[in-house]
Amino acid sequence: MPEVDFTVEVCGMAGDGTIAAGGLINEAMSHGGFSVLGFDSYPAEIRGFGRCVTNSRIGSNEIVALGEKTHALISLNDEQSRSRTPSLAEHSLVFFDSNPPAYVPEDNSLLSVLPPGAQVFGIPFGALAVGASGASRGRNLTALGGFAAVTGVDPNLFRKVIRDKFKAKGDRVVDINVKSFDAGYEYALEKFSDRLKSIFSKIETDHDPKKVMLSGNQAIGMAAIDAGLKLYFGYPITPATPIMEYLAKYLPERGGRVVQMEDEISSIGAVLGSFYAGTRSMTATSGPGFALMTELITHGVMAEIPAVILDAQRGGPATGLPTKTEQSDLHAAVFGGPGDSARIVIAPTDVEECYHFVIRSFQLAEKYQTPVIVLTDFFLDNRVENRPLIRAMEGQAASWNVFPDEAFKDHYQRYADTPSGISPRALPGMEGFNFTATGLEHTEKGSPDYSPENHAKMSEKRHRKLRYALKDLEKPAEFFASDHLDVGVIGWGSTFGSVLEAVEKSRKNGFKVGALKVTSIFPYHSETIGAFMAKSKRVLVPELNYEGQLANLIAHLDSKPVDRLNFVTGTPIPPSAIQSRIEELLGVLA
Amino acid sequence: MSMKRFVIIGNGPAANHAAKALRENSSESRITIFSKDPFRSYRAHLLPDFIAGLIKEEDLYNSSYAHYNEMDINLRLGQRVVSVDFSKRNVILDHKEVVPFDGLIVATGGKPRLPEQFQLFQDIMLTLKTPLDARMWVEKLSNVDSVLIIGGDLTSLSLTKALLKLHKRVKFILNDDAFWPVPLNEEIYRAVTGRLEQRGVEIVHCRRIRRITQLEENLLEVETDREILETGVLGAFFGLVPDVGFLARTGLDIDRGILVDEFLKTRFANVYAAGDCAQVYHPALRDYWVSIGHENATALGRIAALNLAGSHFEVQVKPESILEVGGVKINTSWWTEF
Ligand SMILES: Cc1cc2nc3c(=O)[nH]c(=O)nc-3n(C[C@H](O)[C@H](O)[C@H](O)COP(=O)(O)OP(=O)(O)OC[C@H]3O[C@@H](n4cnc5c(N)ncnc54)[C@H](O)[C@@H]3O)c2cc1C
Repeated sequence: MPEVDFTVEVCGMAGDGTIAAGGLINEAMSHGGFSVLGFDSYPAEIRGFGRCVTNSRIGSNEIVALGEKTHALISLNDEQSRSRTPSLAEHSLVFFDSNPPAYVPEDNSLLSVLPPGAQVFGIPFGALAVGASGASRGRNLTALGGFAAVTGVDPNLFRKVIRDKFKAKGDRVVDINVKSFDAGYEYALEKFSDRLKSIFSKIETDHDPKKVMLSGNQAIGMAAIDAGLKLYFGYPITPATPIMEYLAKYLPERGGRVVQMEDEISSIGAVLGSFYAGTRSMTATSGPGFALMTELITHGVMAEIPAVILDAQRGGPATGLPTKTEQSDLHAAVFGGPGDSARIVIAPTDVEECYHFVIRSFQLAEKYQTPVIVLTDFFLDNRVENRPLIRAMEGQAASWNVFPDEAFKDHYQRYADTPSGISPRALPGMEGFNFTATGLEHTEKGSPDYSPENHAKMSEKRHRKLRYALKDLEKPAEFFASDHLDVGVIGWGSTFGSVLEAVEKSRKNGFKVGALKVTSIFPYHSETIGAFMAKSKRVLVPELNYEGQLANLIAHLDSKPVDRLNFVTGTPIPPSAIQSRIEELLGVLA
Repeated sequence: MSMKRFVIIGNGPAANHAAKALRENSSESRITIFSKDPFRSYRAHLLPDFIAGLIKEEDLYNSSYAHYNEMDINLRLGQRVVSVDFSKRNVILDHKEVVPFDGLIVATGGKPRLPEQFQLFQDIMLTLKTPLDARMWVEKLSNVDSVLIIGGDLTSLSLTKALLKLHKRVKFILNDDAFWPVPLNEEIYRAVTGRLEQRGVEIVHCRRIRRITQLEENLLEVETDREILETGVLGAFFGLVPDVGFLARTGLDIDRGILVDEFLKTRFANVYAAGDCAQVYHPALRDYWVSIGHENATALGRIAALNLAGSHFEVQVKPESILEVGGVKINTSWWTEF
């Protein structure tokens, strides 16, 4: 059966409708039954003025990573699109406005910098849109029409998603937008009748109505709401702000509140306060904000108060690269803060996991009475995927609070040293369960006590509790499992998709390679990870950070050194880079 | 001094040989090739073999994209030049791009010629110049088994060979000014019709064509002064004429082709023309001749480039190899066996 793996980029200036066009491509292709992974990039420091690019990878098989080469470029602004040409695939299709408002000097033209094999499709986007709708605003839709005609996409898919997008604005708006699309479609069908490709029309796909198109940020927001979040406290920061925006829009409908705090310190303070009182709450931030939170996070560790903190990583350190993706907060998430302050850190690898992990984070926080940090990153937060997303059923997001037994009434010890280390937690106001919660080292009762014996005992209790938490933390998942591997690749977070694709391709080339997905970052399943490392002749850990932060964490689990692949490009690691490294290691083995 | 910008309009043999010679003689310059066709440079003489299914489409193309990268030549396919502003020294493209040049070589070749009486029927007659035309033939031929050819130039003879290989029934109307670029005298007429008939081609004798009607998608009716014929496809083969219409209002001297001196220079400094689009001055004949054929094109392309790069080569053509057809002087390197 023919397969397709096709990446299309739309590039323009803010105001050109670039992001909208990219979104429509994702939706239309998703409706067509294709697997879609989309990622928009824009310089957020100047959002509203700068270049916008959307990248959509469309496949007949499941797509797990971003496309590396662009097969079609839709240029809504040629000067901006010039920067996209280095990533064009060999016989890429380039759609551009063949009747711009003014003459363009060669040095600003897109066509002058295209590789020789590029196939150009000039369509008068603006003029056709004016003809169809009376205004040039719909030129992005005209461009989509041209794209659909040339690549063989069923135009009804686009017509449907255009209708869906504009239906709230009334029939007239729907009509002119569909007409703008049709104008481009019909123009291209006729003008390029001898150059039409049937890239998508050959593929048989099944539309899965359960599949939804969601960004990581939307999945996180949805999960928080489905988990019964009552309070969100936060301070805006890229790339976490869209979570706050999503919740500000939808949480009040569910009886919750979003409160913008004066900073990240007060945000985490408020989260601890509400969880202390028994109410699910959360905050989301990025590296610099997370750094401010660390002292109070350790307060949660010491006083055993639940909290859910989402750290949407971006390039660092410090203010760093606000709109670039990186996985360099792992050390800070696991170790940041004073004292032996072990806490739970989990990292989803795709949009679907963003949803499930956020729901689970509330339960883990409640049961283990400790801050739970969900580590995502710019790429994972902003990319969209169409996956069958099963919303949590009633009960699946149920409270995991461990309340004290009635038997302990009137002689309740808040920090009772149990075999699991979990001390049943009373909420303030429960009659007969008065207690003191404190960030000072304390006895089982909660009274401050700095004696060496007590500190040793309580430190051990808190760490025992975390070890115990492992049973509720997702085990590493092995892909292409086998008893012996030449190269075992360990991936985490948004990088895992690239790992999976690279490993799959290497296997197709006949190599004995496997992948391990680690989502429980701390505590981690040392036995499973150790066994995977032991059976692999070489262990490769690709990460989007300079220091090899996951590699540092797990290197001690096996005696041989871990091979690292570290990228700090601010963009996702291309699968091909991992594949080359794998094959390089195999070359060394041979 | 800033880098010289050379622009070549065209991507046929003349253009490519010019680009190669320019690169060899001017390593620092910026060289851009424009072609209105969206495909690579191809071997036109193989088009009939492709139609006959003897070769794959890929075999038509004679250079890889990598080749242009290696030569540092910016190959811009599917981009039509619509005008040249010789005073500002800019080439203007269909999509409103303005490209400055220090030196220009026009090598736009020829396009199928259609006598005025047939222009009305342009859309229902097939011609053969490019791989796209060839694809059209392949598509059409898969649905029909009879072909009527009007005209009868050298191209049509090679095509006929292909059609016969495909077991199509071929009829021919040899038109008066058919044999472009060779004058159709009684001797040639007899030789050619004899050969055609020997191979099973039916020669239709008539003085004029009255009407062409499309009856169905794959059925045409052609009425001559003598009879009514039915055919699946109709091919028009009247040779090629220089493809220079877009330069008509630019101030260039154009007769049939772009008039150039024996050094291939036009009246504008550093502007040359070569290949099928050029009409070259012959000092001994004191007249211009039109160039036709692959070998001519490559030779002229090279001379134009060398002269643009500073040399002073004269085109050498023996007066006796220049023929006169219908009042036009022609030199052709083109020879096809039938
Ligand atoms: C079917 C067929 C068979 C042939 N067989 C033979 C043979 O056996 N022997 C032989 O010697 N000759 C043969 N020829 C003729 C030969 O192919 C031509 O003489 C030769 O190609 C001329 O070369 P050229 O470079 O001058 O022009 P062309 O090859 O015609 O190239 C012209 C180029 O100019 C470009 N162009 C035109 N206008 C514009 C514009 N406005 N903007 C941008 N680009 C433009 C075109 O896209 C094209 O790339 C045959 C031709 C055909 C069609």
